Amino acid sequence: MSWFEHNTPLGGAFEKPKDDVHRLGAMQQIEVPRRRFKDTDLVDFVIVGVGSAGGVLLQRLARAGFKVVGFEAGPFWDTERDWVSDESGSHKLYWNDLRITGGEHPLALGANNSGKGVGGGSVHWAAFVPRFHPSDFEVYTRDGVGADWPITYEDIEPYYELLEQEIPVAGPAWYPWGKPHGHPYAPHPMGGVGDTLIAGCTKLGIPVSAGGPVAILSASHGDRPHCIYRGFCIQGCKVGAKASTLVTHVPDALKNGAEIRDHCMVARVSMKDGRTDGVVYFDAEGAEHFQRARVVLVCGYALETPRLLLNSACPGHEKGLANSSGTLGKYLMAQAGNVILGRFENLVRMYKAPPAHALTEEFYETDPKRDFARGFAVQTVGPLPIAFAKQMMSAKGLWGWGMRRAMMDYNHWSALGLLGEILPWEDNRIELADGREGRHEARDQFGLPVAQVTFSLKENDKKMIEFGKNKVMEIMWAAGAMEVVQESRYAHLVGACRMSKTPDGGVCDKFGRTWDVPNLFVMDGSVMPTQGSANPGLTIQALAARTADYLISQHEAIFAGDRRDMAKPPCRRSLAPPGTFTRGIPHVR
Amino acid sequence: MSNERQPLTNPDMRTSLPKREQPGYYAGFSTLKQKRYWDAATRKVIEERVSQQKPIRFFTPEEARTMHAVVDRILPQDDRTEERRIPILPDIDDRLYQNRLDGYRFEDMPPDQEVYRIAAHAFEEMAQTLHGRAFHELDARERELILKSIHQAKPQAAQKLWKRMNIERFWTMLVTDVVSVYYAHPWAWDEVGFGGPAYPRGYMRLEEGEPEPWEVREQRYEWRAPADSISDVEELHAGAKEHLVHPGQAGTH
Repeated sequence: MSWFEHNTPLGGAFEKPKDDVHRLGAMQQIEVPRRRFKDTDLVDFVIVGVGSAGGVLLQRLARAGFKVVGFEAGPFWDTERDWVSDESGSHKLYWNDLRITGGEHPLALGANNSGKGVGGGSVHWAAFVPRFHPSDFEVYTRDGVGADWPITYEDIEPYYELLEQEIPVAGPAWYPWGKPHGHPYAPHPMGGVGDTLIAGCTKLGIPVSAGGPVAILSASHGDRPHCIYRGFCIQGCKVGAKASTLVTHVPDALKNGAEIRDHCMVARVSMKDGRTDGVVYFDAEGAEHFQRARVVLVCGYALETPRLLLNSACPGHEKGLANSSGTLGKYLMAQAGNVILGRFENLVRMYKAPPAHALTEEFYETDPKRDFARGFAVQTVGPLPIAFAKQMMSAKGLWGWGMRRAMMDYNHWSALGLLGEILPWEDNRIELADGREGRHEARDQFGLPVAQVTFSLKENDKKMIEFGKNKVMEIMWAAGAMEVVQESRYAHLVGACRMSKTPDGGVCDKFGRTWDVPNLFVMDGSVMPTQGSANPGLTIQALAARTADYLISQHEAIFAGDRRDMAKPPCRRSLAPPGTFTRGIPHVR
Repeated sequence: MSNERQPLTNPDMRTSLPKREQPGYYAGFSTLKQKRYWDAATRKVIEERVSQQKPIRFFTPEEARTMHAVVDRILPQDDRTEERRIPILPDIDDRLYQNRLDGYRFEDMPPDQEVYRIAAHAFEEMAQTLHGRAFHELDARERELILKSIHQAKPQAAQKLWKRMNIERFWTMLVTDVVSVYYAHPWAWDEVGFGGPAYPRGYMRLEEGEPEPWEVREQRYEWRAPADSISDVEELHAGAKEHLVHPGQAGTH
């Protein structure tokens, strides 16, 4: 028997798992203390949802010495045992529970825009981590559309720098768009799709960034190994090279005494005398509990966060918690995420290398020569066979022998993604499918109404998509494709609990503190007033780190009363996980 | 020199379609032969996928007969030898039986289970109305013409049943479910030249479509679909109808 055909796995069979020990990637092994706080304990902070924002908040608050519990509806992943190097077998990483979707341009939900399990969506993001541009924070002032943020780029910049080192981000030393900056880890080598983007852009004179910025290690970092270029980023990185808060922040949070209560679904935020006094939740067996807390931080992302606040309606808050402005659930945004596919004479083999490894933001800003506000980015994508077959179905209408034939050419195709800024519109929204006022009725396993999502494009969005899609097709042709087709789709979900300068304009202030309930915070993608053409993950984590600093500075006032001090907190670099900040090259000043 | 510089298939030169153990342009390539290099969790999932026979528990025997005949034309496998055909319907049945959802339902669609029951009955009614025979007794072309009318959202019969759902969304769900089963199978990976599971080994040759030492080079050949088939042509969905198309959902970016 040749050694290729030998049947024993090279890494050996699994050792028997020790109780409470989880493996995160190839090298990282952490002990997970089981539940320590009692429901009757008054903990300082309850975090609902341990994803991109919740993971960072949990780590910061635990390191600062607070009693903090993170509730997570999904499992605590043991990545070596739970995850597979397989497209179909990775379905469980998503929030697959029922939601209702409608409007003129209904969004596909579940995969690609929500996660379930510790790490949340950062477990299956492609890990592109561009910063927002300075212009993103003043879209209304500049263009008269969308909204201004209650913060500026300068407010978030120190947190971009901090998180880029905590993650740490790989990318070019000089990144020219927005406010130019560099990255701490070296850019990645190119795969076939990156070569397509570079060839097409270069031919058209469009600047392009190769090898990042991505939250994927190009060299080992502490107990995390470097990337092995296997292309399964969005199926969860078993290697541990791609950052998720599960590997970057959660281990340090646990080390500092945080508790994660996994398989626990928070049903509503409880209210007493105008303040929240904790959360009502269901455990893995479906039994109902109440956890007392001084402060509740809702970090469930753009659908589950507003759903929880709507499901928490109570006397005095009949339209949902923190909804005196009437904006809760409204101004929901997705980005245009059309995939442009090109067939080449030569082989590409786009399953190799991370799907995310090159991009251009040359079309990001408003261009007066175009007939729409704001813009888009162009990024590499690398669909695996099932995703590619679905694209052949929607882009070319294929089935039967036509599908079989196109799929036999899988290795000849390359794929680029449009990432376009759709503006916030009041009627793009999430509501409860509670059967009232003409809404649908659908409930989850706990009897709670599920989210009903309504989404429609407006004129500016349609013009942007048309222009952007044609530009990416032009790049694909310029790269030498023999055939170019495209699939319409959307990526990411943000908004629906937006932050605002005044209580009538949104759900929360610039630190995520809700305007109506002084000890209730919202912190995740749902607080974004606009979304730019950047993938939201880095900005979500940076906002969360900033809110952690605010909570640490203001905790006495927040624990005790209603006083709202909007002073900027100091950026506490000392709270970064050990060995992260001060590593790598400095940013460009 | 590498075979990769040859032009793609020229339709004028197509030859017939013999049965093969492994169709596709990567003769001798086997992802399963690499399983020693896969991690244990992945090996378990893939080995079960290949060896396990899943029962039909959601569909009634009559519905299963119809749907099998439907799936057989959505993803034809006439070019595969009997023992190398990839079972598709049992996995769709399993998804419906276990209520494994994709995380959403369109507001103009009934629940997935109801959609498939209605569809199975509608296909049967169409066969009876148009041909006076059961759907599974129709020849390939008759079945494909019925499917094509559904793809175009213009059913020639059973309109009352089809009116109970958004027919374009049904088509998308059906084709999605079918390709999600077929292209999850290692034999389909061999067919399209996909490297399969790659942890902990990873890839070394990232550029210009170069194969890893354990992959093979492409060897193209000409083939044509059976003469009675109508599914080897592209029907572009683009243009005015695009708003009706199910938005792409596969995670990419």
